[in-house]
Amino acid sequence: MSEENKIGGAVLLVIWIAALSISLVAFYGLDHLIMNMQGLPLNADLTPAG
Amino acid sequence: MRSNRQQSIRRNGFSNRLGWLLSLLAVLLTFGVSSVFADMGIGGAEQRIAPIGRVHIEGQDFIPAVDSVASEIEEPELIAAPRTSRKDYPNIGVSSRAVVWILAQMHLFFGALVLAVPLFVLAIELVGVATGDERYDSMAHEFMKISLTGFSITAIFGGSLALFLLYPDFMGYMMHVFGAQWLVYAALFFLESFFLYTYYYGWNAMRYGNMKWVHLSLGLLLNGAGMTIMVMANSWATFMMAPSGVNEVGAVIGNIWEVMKGPLWNPINLHRFIANIGFGGAVVGAYAAYKFLSTKDMEKRAHYDWMGYTSNFIAILAFLPLPFAGYWLMAEIYAYSQQMGITAMGGILAWLFIVQAVLIGTILLAGNYYLWAGMSRTEGSKRYKPFIGFIAFVLVISFLIWVTPHTLMLSASEIAQLGGSHHHILGPLGIMPAKNIAVNLMLIVTFLSFQLYRRSDKVATVSWAPIGNALMVAIYVVAIVNIIFLGVYFGYFTNTVYKVGSSVAQVSSTLVVIIAGIVIDSLMFKNAKILPSHWGRIPDRAQYALFALPIAFTWLMGLMGYVRSSVKTHWHVYTVMKDNSPDNFIPTIGYAGNMITIVTVLFLLFVLFMFWIASLSGTKQPKPETVAEGGVA
Amino acid sequence: MNVFFKTMGFSIGLALIFTLVTQLLPQVEGEAPVETKVDLSSLTMDDFVTMGEDLFMNKGTCTLCHKPPPIGRAPDIQSMDMVSTVAERLADERYQGESKDAAGYILESMIDPSKFVVAGWGKKGSNDTVSPMPAVDKAPIQLSVMEMDAIIAYLQAKDGNEVTVSLPSPEAAAEAAAAAPAAGGGVALASAATAEEALGKYACSACHAMDSEDPLVGPGLATVGRRLSETEIRQSIVDPAAVIAEGFPPAMPADFAEKMTVKELEMLVQHLAEKK
Repeated sequence: MSEENKIGGAVLLVIWIAALSISLVAFYGLDHLIMNMQGLPLNADLTPAG
Repeated sequence: MRSNRQQSIRRNGFSNRLGWLLSLLAVLLTFGVSSVFADMGIGGAEQRIAPIGRVHIEGQDFIPAVDSVASEIEEPELIAAPRTSRKDYPNIGVSSRAVVWILAQMHLFFGALVLAVPLFVLAIELVGVATGDERYDSMAHEFMKISLTGFSITAIFGGSLALFLLYPDFMGYMMHVFGAQWLVYAALFFLESFFLYTYYYGWNAMRYGNMKWVHLSLGLLLNGAGMTIMVMANSWATFMMAPSGVNEVGAVIGNIWEVMKGPLWNPINLHRFIANIGFGGAVVGAYAAYKFLSTKDMEKRAHYDWMGYTSNFIAILAFLPLPFAGYWLMAEIYAYSQQMGITAMGGILAWLFIVQAVLIGTILLAGNYYLWAGMSRTEGSKRYKPFIGFIAFVLVISFLIWVTPHTLMLSASEIAQLGGSHHHILGPLGIMPAKNIAVNLMLIVTFLSFQLYRRSDKVATVSWAPIGNALMVAIYVVAIVNIIFLGVYFGYFTNTVYKVGSSVAQVSSTLVVIIAGIVIDSLMFKNAKILPSHWGRIPDRAQYALFALPIAFTWLMGLMGYVRSSVKTHWHVYTVMKDNSPDNFIPTIGYAGNMITIVTVLFLLFVLFMFWIASLSGTKQPKPETVAEGGVA
Repeated sequence: MNVFFKTMGFSIGLALIFTLVTQLLPQVEGEAPVETKVDLSSLTMDDFVTMGEDLFMNKGTCTLCHKPPPIGRAPDIQSMDMVSTVAERLADERYQGESKDAAGYILESMIDPSKFVVAGWGKKGSNDTVSPMPAVDKAPIQLSVMEMDAIIAYLQAKDGNEVTVSLPSPEAAAEAAAAAPAAGGGVALASAATAEEALGKYACSACHAMDSEDPLVGPGLATVGRRLSETEIRQSIVDPAAVIAEGFPPAMPADFAEKMTVKELEMLVQHLAEKK
């Protein structure tokens, strides 16, 4: 708890946004990867490309 | 205060070690799942499954079996599977199938128990060696003690005698197909017994130093023998479902390895391996709960509380990856025979999956409830209380979606009443994509319960804790969104191929959450500040969750045995040997339910007997005073 | 003891709740296909069509997959006029079979489903070249020629089309009845009308290649007439163990003498003797 208090609100916001973006990119990549491995390619907007 | 602290440290170490085991399991599982992906490529199914009569070694071109037979000097005799008629089956007045059902199921229950217990006993013993905490060692020994009689009970229910008497032709054929493998199997039983008795009775004789490593090696050998026995026995079941190494009429044309290595063998092996661990954990958990409730001694309560917690931990941990193993198994069944897959999932057996949902729902709710109740042990758990409502909500909603029936078999009038074969509002919830979402969400929130519980007595001291927390929350949120998106978009708005493919991506998302959770937490809570926690401080009613778990597990195993055996329909060995006995039909779900309850209650009684025997060894009758006096006089 | 009763009561109560759930669900029994004895001498075409419908719904397990979308896993045959559909398919350039008419096409699609795969229904990854459908004359479905004819009759008749398959003849019926006890509890098969049918009925090609000399379980039979006389062929079928071709296991069933009708045996012997 005490550690968190040392970090300013702005920094915290950046951290949360960064974490969310990283996760989004990671799962976006995961979807592409898994579907490609099964021979079911996707377009950039995740619609089926097959 | 000091003892509290010690206990906290002890549990912390324990959790970390088990965390590693979990990671290992997850990695193994990922390999299992990835092989599913690999097999979904072009021609994958063709290569993987050697159709009957066309068995060949992987990677080699198809060579007609006769070439090798012809070149050998000693020609093995080709004998087709017997064709039986009704009079070939002895009539004993009651249903032969019911007799075999009970014997085989009891054998399987105890077999599963005695294979699983040494596995986690060895793991706990290892943790004890690594941490130097003797209490792990004692607990492992106690787990071993209470399951010891199980080995004899397993053997008693071997049931082979009944099988030979009731299904002589079928067993004769199986003996013929598996041949010398039976001898290996019998020999392994001797090995298993040898390692079992040396492992158990040598526990205190080989407790420290180098001797401990000898003891651990014995444990490893015990598990090796047990595992081999299990996969051998599995090959009989999978041969019956999807025969390999024989031709169209059942004559053996491959070697024993080709007979054993049917398309369903490894999926069943993995599935049973994982399920056994969960089942074993649940059963010994009930023992701890019973002991906890029977005593008022606070120290004993603390001990059995800890034991119950560990058992529940093992049970739920093994349970989480089980649906994925089941998914692999079903995928292989569909690949082997679409007809068999549909018989299981869309035919008359499909209603059974409603019952399965009820059982799994019970297991998850009981496991979660136990974790939430257990939070009262720690003083740091208040921080996480608000999450419980959310988790409970997701669990219940997902559960309801899961039990929404898919339209299965409706009479014409029922269809007319419903205005179509699907309900117009509930219909979309009845099909697979919705259920996939529900299952994955249930698993994710159960893992969340776990993670919160494990965090409840700790405060992270690493400087990057806020980043770690943010990342963890983000992974949960995005994974849940991703699972819902995949299920809804691909499940309802694209074609079937993408629908099926997206379920693999959903499963992967769940796995990512689990693996990320373990990795982040094990790094973040290194050297964490430990808040005091009190073993034994848990409401009595929470212990009933530890009874609900084994009952639901046992029942679930019985139910899945019913479906596994029934998909063969009227065949002893699918496509090769017909079942012409009076019991060659698939019984109704209600009949199966009665049978399963009978075996569950029988199992419960035998388990009680097993525990009672175990408690005998710890009881010493006080020397009668009159005799003592007489002696003096 | 109090704890004992509480926990046992809880456990058994829970098991009973699970049992109750199973009792509340629809109770359906999965009957094994029942042997139906058909009196072929008095069989009308209507009966034959009805029999075909029953086979389509039950023993043939066709409706496991061939049912309306979205739960179907194969074209919804029951809502299609198969005769006009077949005409379109025969004209399709992807069609690989040899059939010329609806009856031939339907039979072909049951025995060798990959001859024409309807777009979108092929095995995954096969680009609609391989059908996921099992051959219905093989295990586990094992329909006889007569049963497949009945299904063809049903599929033609259900949309008011003319039925082009012929009824099994009463002579065949009599022979089938005679052969039934020897078949050992199996479904009474109609007696084969031609040598090719007999080859299929007794699954000769499971072990013998018919169009090459390549050895499978038994020797190939493409040129068997050159090697063996009629008498020798007859002996090989009736008493396979008498002379075993060099390098082959004695795997051939010894009960053909009981199973085959005299007519079938003679047809087979003639047919094989002509393979030179």
